[in-house]
Amino acid sequence: MMHRRAFLGAGAACLLSGGAAAGQRSRPPDLHLEGREASWYRKLPDRRVECQLCPRACQVADQERGGCGVRENRRGLYYTLVHSLPCTVHLDPIEKKPFFHVLPGARALSWATAGCNVECKFCQNWEISQFRPEQVASFPMPPETLARQARQAGAPLLSATYSEPVVFWEYVRDTALAARALGVRTTVVSNGYIQEAPLKEVLPHLAAFKVDLKSFREAFYREVLRGELKPVLRALEVIRAAGVWLEIVVLLIPTLNDSEAEVRDLARWVKGHLGAEVPVHFTRFHPTYRLTNLPPTPLATLERAHDAARAEGLAYVYLGNLPGHPAENTLCPGCGEMLIRRAGFAVRENRLRRGACPACGRPIPGVWA
Amino acid sequence: MSPTFTRRDLARLAGLALPGALLARRARAATRARVGLAPLAGVELTPAAGRRALERALVAATGAASPLAALRTLFPATETVGIKLNCLAGRGMSPRPELVEALAALLREAGVGRERILVFERSARELRRAGFSPGEREHYRCLGIDNDYDAEPSTSGSIGSCFARLVSTTCTALISFGVVKDHDLAGVSAGAKNWYGVIHNPNKYHDGNCDPYLADLLRHPFLRQKVRLTILDGVTAQCHGGPAFRPDATWPLGVVAASTDLLAADAWAWRVMDGERQRRGMPTLAAAGRPPRWLATAQGYGLGEGDPARVEVVQG
Repeated sequence: MMHRRAFLGAGAACLLSGGAAAGQRSRPPDLHLEGREASWYRKLPDRRVECQLCPRACQVADQERGGCGVRENRRGLYYTLVHSLPCTVHLDPIEKKPFFHVLPGARALSWATAGCNVECKFCQNWEISQFRPEQVASFPMPPETLARQARQAGAPLLSATYSEPVVFWEYVRDTALAARALGVRTTVVSNGYIQEAPLKEVLPHLAAFKVDLKSFREAFYREVLRGELKPVLRALEVIRAAGVWLEIVVLLIPTLNDSEAEVRDLARWVKGHLGAEVPVHFTRFHPTYRLTNLPPTPLATLERAHDAARAEGLAYVYLGNLPGHPAENTLCPGCGEMLIRRAGFAVRENRLRRGACPACGRPIPGVWA
Repeated sequence: MSPTFTRRDLARLAGLALPGALLARRARAATRARVGLAPLAGVELTPAAGRRALERALVAATGAASPLAALRTLFPATETVGIKLNCLAGRGMSPRPELVEALAALLREAGVGRERILVFERSARELRRAGFSPGEREHYRCLGIDNDYDAEPSTSGSIGSCFARLVSTTCTALISFGVVKDHDLAGVSAGAKNWYGVIHNPNKYHDGNCDPYLADLLRHPFLRQKVRLTILDGVTAQCHGGPAFRPDATWPLGVVAASTDLLAADAWAWRVMDGERQRRGMPTLAAAGRPPRWLATAQGYGLGEGDPARVEVVQG
């Protein structure tokens, strides 16, 4: 019998044309993880280290791992165990990330390793994000191979996604560099829970960044995922200031983060700190992992959030996990003209002309070519 | 937040573990908060000396007439007994194979069949590093959990984890076979912290000096109902630098410890580690910023005696 997490990993390379051979996919459960020295940490006395990648700043003793489960202290040196070791690689439409203002209809070779630096009780990908690398079926794939696979598959984009790219940040950096050399652009789908220095170091190599803003309340971050809101807001500002294309996704969970007051606070902050033209996607929650006692988000809640964010002045507000809903489409904020018509992850019509509205000529921000 | 369990969890417990658990609880009730100690010195350990020490510690911990009587009460012959080792630190600071062999031999003499004695650790690799040989042995089967976890997580208070199927399904009774050592975050790694090795995501639960996470793990019925005994190899102990092996922080404690209380062996270990730290002019664990607060939390849950001052030490 195959567990779902094994199935996820096993299915990964199958979707790649000419992808990894079957023998490369599975790791024997007892295989030693070689690892390579991490880029962001400092040494402490007694062979301890402090991770300087995410705001948790784990202080890790010899032989122990950080909270992400993928970084290990070995005799005072800190190692990432997941560099070049994805557990899943898929060709996805870029709309699935979702990016709605990045090469509409393009495919992105999407990859992930095991591990995450928070523990969202509602995680949709917990079978890889909440496991250690030795617990999921992974397969070796160096950055150059990943970039080459994207190019061979005709995908103009790579996307680090599914689990949490912050925990495999060196792999993201090296892949982005390798991809750029082949004319492939790299995007990141992340919780944004990262320290400034590693974020700033990698941003110049990225084409777009999507942040899952889990809530606009510190209490939610503390209680539901054991993270912090403040560093995520700071990361959003850093990404925006760097000029990397940014989109935000907010999963609305009934009773936990779906009040109109919270949505309005969030929208006001986005407009004030990032600008009204940053797209915000409100997406529908489905019960999973440790949050199975709540129902899926009602349609009315999502539509109320959409209307509230628009009323606060955001120009591009979308609804997700609602295939066929009109709020999947991009309209010109100037004249209301239909610009991009979508159905789920499919682009049905793209009427943009050189990144502008064909009716009124208003420039629409995004990565269009 | 109270623990939540799936129907499957409850069915397993009702069908497999409760009868034995009730028997063992009755046996434990008379000896709560007791730690039995037996002297055992020397780096080179003979199997006979290990067995004698283990027998004396068992009798001291339980007050039974003999070690076999103690084991028969705790582990009826129908039980499948899992012995969880703590081998993270390799040969330098892991339970000695001779002591584990002796415990398994005693269990067999007490009536538990060889096929019902499972000695395990997180991975076969860790077992080998500590000097164990995964596979069929004379008195037991030795194996790593490796990737064999439940498909769905089970929640207990602040933790939500997939348990090793050895713990959730296969074994009806459990023994923690640990060591006496310092832990950088939990303060003490003896019998209780060893159980972090049976969940898939222990790295998520080290904040706040593992409090309340470790206490919440211990009160999950898989552990609360099944753990009957803690054995600690205290021939050599380590008062600093854990959980890895740090030779310069070890000292010859020279004992084997046993307890049927889920917490008492750890409370005792805290006391002896602080004693050694003070002898060396080092701050206590509390002064060093890592008191094992989870012991008090677990005691508050009614899991056992977590106060070092209230643990009765009985010399065997």
